[in-house]
Amino acid sequence: MPSNKGRVCLLVGTRKGGFVFTSDSKRKEWKVSGPHMKGNEIYHMAYDRRNGAVLASVISGHWGPTIARSDDMGETWKESRTPPKFPRGTGLSVARVWHIKPGPEDEAGVVYAGVEPACLFRSEDGGRSWAVNESMMNQKTRKKWQPGAGGLCLHTILLNSKRPKRMHIAISAVGTMRTDDAGESWKFQNKNVLANFQPEKYPEYGQCVHKLASNQSTPDVIFHQNHCGVYRSDDAGENWVDIRNNLPSRFGFPIAVDANEPKRAYVAPMEGDFSRIPPGGHFAVWGTDNAGKEWFKLDKGLPSVSYYTVLRDGMVADQEDPCGLYFGTTTGQLYASRDQGNNWENLSDGLPPIFSVSVSSI
Amino acid sequence: MRLTAQLRDYARGAREIELDSAPNLQAMVGKLEESFPGIGGRIVDDQGKIRAHVNVFVNSTNSRELGNEKTALQDGDVVHILPSVAGG
Repeated sequence: MPSNKGRVCLLVGTRKGGFVFTSDSKRKEWKVSGPHMKGNEIYHMAYDRRNGAVLASVISGHWGPTIARSDDMGETWKESRTPPKFPRGTGLSVARVWHIKPGPEDEAGVVYAGVEPACLFRSEDGGRSWAVNESMMNQKTRKKWQPGAGGLCLHTILLNSKRPKRMHIAISAVGTMRTDDAGESWKFQNKNVLANFQPEKYPEYGQCVHKLASNQSTPDVIFHQNHCGVYRSDDAGENWVDIRNNLPSRFGFPIAVDANEPKRAYVAPMEGDFSRIPPGGHFAVWGTDNAGKEWFKLDKGLPSVSYYTVLRDGMVADQEDPCGLYFGTTTGQLYASRDQGNNWENLSDGLPPIFSVSVSSI
Repeated sequence: MRLTAQLRDYARGAREIELDSAPNLQAMVGKLEESFPGIGGRIVDDQGKIRAHVNVFVNSTNSRELGNEKTALQDGDVVHILPSVAGG
């Protein structure tokens, strides 16, 4: 991976607005601005390196969801002219934009958004207007799709740097799907993934996937944090293998992959799905150097008593070398590591509840 | 039509707007959207239903007591669009 010598921005979406942290590539000193769009829920933010725009999922409790764009790192914002919106007569209405993903380098202006109820939208003008992916909207099985506790949300969009028409998405609690024709058609990819809350334990779909992550140098190797396990696929989602091994719990929400070491991944385990607290009341990130064969705890600098909850978009790896890691909690703590999770520093202890963190070189 | 503060940004700051006659609230929101793009989606959802935490009053009656977005309008009616109280 190329070493980025420029600046880094860390975008933090919270219940009360968005925050923009910026630093140089050393990531020692951070400047912060925000809350942007104060009072609104900012569920996810994304920096578009192709044009320098920041895109944000904005939710007003009264006035509904939209996507806003800033061309000056958050100083000013403009709502989408045509936000993600289902056609009349479908009975579907966008409740929340869960994830925003800028498109490939060579498709200027293309941006994807995953929404609740689960569907994919695409913009071709940098997020100013959006169109629904009709194939996803018209999936024959849609009426049988069930929401997870967070809602029926399309929360993950993985692009493939080597196959531009391939994309993976994840829906809770439907599972993972892949397209090889740029969204014209989709197929489920949940083989060997447990759904222990279903009568049939390994169904074609209905799995509660929490997050997918991959390293773009090996885009067909995908790491997967599920409600019922931690998995890896080495064949672009065709088959999944359970890689929980010595993790203290199979349950958790986020998962991230190191930018420079494709076999190094990170999870944030929580005790089973009912208590949803860190094992032993001590939050820790766990890492692996061998694609999940063995895991080790990464908690230096984290409080010994820390009943933190980190949501599915609440932990992310940057593209620097060494790779940096960041997580934000639902109680407003923001932590950063400049050395692959080996040492953690608190960037902020009093933010509003954090929904998401995303990071990019500028 | 009287707009609450949060909606005035969509309407170039206007507190009050006078619209040509519209047979019902649904048509009124459509006319409003034509004049001020973006405002309609703040009042109604993708299927055209008034958002759960938005109250639209016709004169002093909440449209939920009248017919929601199908509520008929007469010339001279005053329509207030307000956020619901967000307390406990």
